[in-house]
Amino acid sequence: MLTPDLNSYLLISVLLFAIGLAGVLIRRNTLVVFMCLELMLVAATLALVAFSRFNGTMDGNVFVFFILTVAAAEVAVGLAIIVALFRRRMTIQVDELNTLKN
Amino acid sequence: MTLEEVRLAAADNLWSAIAPELILASLALVLLVLEMVLPKRHHGLIPDIASAGILGTLLGLFLNWHPVTLGTETFSGLLQHSVTGQVMRAFFLLAALFTCLLARITLARQPMPRVEFYHVLLVVTAAMMLLVQANHFLMLFVALETLTIGLYILVSYLRTTTASLEAGLKYLVMGALSSGLLLFGIVLLYGVTGNPALPLHSGNAMHYEELGLFLTGNPDNFLASLGIVLVLAGVAFKIGAFPFQVWVPDVYQGAPTPVTAFLAVASKGAGFAVLLALCGPQGPFTPYAWLVMPILTAMAGATILFGNIAALTQHNVKRLIGLSGVAHAGFLLLGVVAAAGSPMAVGAVYFYLFAYLLASFAVFGVMAHVAGTDDAGQELDHYAGLSRQSPFLATVLAVGLGSLAGIPPLAGFMGKLFVFIAAFQAGARWLLLIAAAGVVVSIYYYFGWIKAAFFDAWTPPAETTAPAKPAGTPVGWVAGLSLGTLALASIVLGFYQGPLGQWLMLW
Repeated sequence: MLTPDLNSYLLISVLLFAIGLAGVLIRRNTLVVFMCLELMLVAATLALVAFSRFNGTMDGNVFVFFILTVAAAEVAVGLAIIVALFRRRMTIQVDELNTLKN
Repeated sequence: MTLEEVRLAAADNLWSAIAPELILASLALVLLVLEMVLPKRHHGLIPDIASAGILGTLLGLFLNWHPVTLGTETFSGLLQHSVTGQVMRAFFLLAALFTCLLARITLARQPMPRVEFYHVLLVVTAAMMLLVQANHFLMLFVALETLTIGLYILVSYLRTTTASLEAGLKYLVMGALSSGLLLFGIVLLYGVTGNPALPLHSGNAMHYEELGLFLTGNPDNFLASLGIVLVLAGVAFKIGAFPFQVWVPDVYQGAPTPVTAFLAVASKGAGFAVLLALCGPQGPFTPYAWLVMPILTAMAGATILFGNIAALTQHNVKRLIGLSGVAHAGFLLLGVVAAAGSPMAVGAVYFYLFAYLLASFAVFGVMAHVAGTDDAGQELDHYAGLSRQSPFLATVLAVGLGSLAGIPPLAGFMGKLFVFIAAFQAGARWLLLIAAAGVVVSIYYYFGWIKAAFFDAWTPPAETTAPAKPAGTPVGWVAGLSLGTLALASIVLGFYQGPLGQWLMLW
């Protein structure tokens, strides 16, 4: 049976991270940008678990719980801001959020 | 894990070592309880209680300046307590205290609940105090995220105004992006340091010292280099260094004025404390100086140039102070670069931060008084005639701006002087040249602001009726006393550095 090695995990994780980063930089819808940000955190989590397993140290697995908690808090605050902004502007497209200009 | 190991681990949790942070966090909870318990007419007391609590914590910190835990590690190596940690604790407490003061002025004009602001502010301050004492990437990440998420809330606090919400969203996206980069960097460092196939690998890979040892043994590992670059990028976002400064002007403009001040001073201070802990003389990244130093050098030069040149064309004072803050981050980076070759550089950076704190809060205090209900639209024109309407505010503004510009003999001048001497000792000649040019440019826009406040008689009377100036807020005695103290401290610190200089080991 073929078991994936560390490099396969890292490749997936780097790919996920790159997709997330590209999405944050390119996409115009705030919700999609937000999902891409979460994707970056998940990519880091995957790499962390893989490293933890192949290195035989447990602190990586513990770290994951902290990352999940932080991500949940971030989503709670983030979605609240997006909803409040949508109620005032009726849009969440990045291009149209341009009140702050010199 | 046996019961005995658990007992040993628990014995290492010296809760008394983080007493100031615990007090702040409990106070934050007490404020929420008070809001429910107190009758509505007494709610005005809550900001007073928050300020008094911060002041009390600060006094307690000074009384117990050398706790028994100083110089040791607690919580199984998560935290390390040092004199620098004590200095930065005092720094954040001072920043929080002045932010409370500004909040009383600014929030009074907004139709907003007040209590949560102080609650979040206290939590963020406690997180910053833990952050600068972190000795482990887990602690670093959790403390950094606690403060960042708290700041998202604070930046978008005026949720009835679009500007504040937009600033919050921009800060959220940029902050989360930087957290992602930082986290991936930490993960790579963790993975490569724990790799059993490499020499000096460690089972406790996120501990700074173990990481430093590993990096010394593997001075050219690709994954470790990548991890270091990502961690640096994440921290550069927080301090607003080029090329990660894009969020600064918008967020500074949209955030409520007290939050802008807190972001500019405390958040920047936290970022630099982390940067010094990682890249400073004893930091874990020292073996990779061949990689770290060129990056920081380029970043410092570009940040100074960008911040100063971009600030030249600004008319909104919050954007102006934001971009000038970018320039200040550049000068501080110069100090971090110099830390590799000069023993006084670290102290110089901390002194600069204190001078920056005094001057910034003086300026922000004046801004809070001059501004009207439109918190984001504070223009330079609103300062016309300030010296006639309120000579006191105009004087404080002039001292604060002069100190930011680095006019001798104010504290800001001494801060810049120390950093420049350190850079000279470290041999960063080109960077010094750029920094000197930056100072000259900065004097131009700072004096444009002072001119707007003092010399309105020189401008021709405007035919077009300018948009009416906001009414502003009269100066209360607490605010007046604090602003006077800040201005006076900026002057005194320029002549006499005394005990602060001794703590920072400048000489």
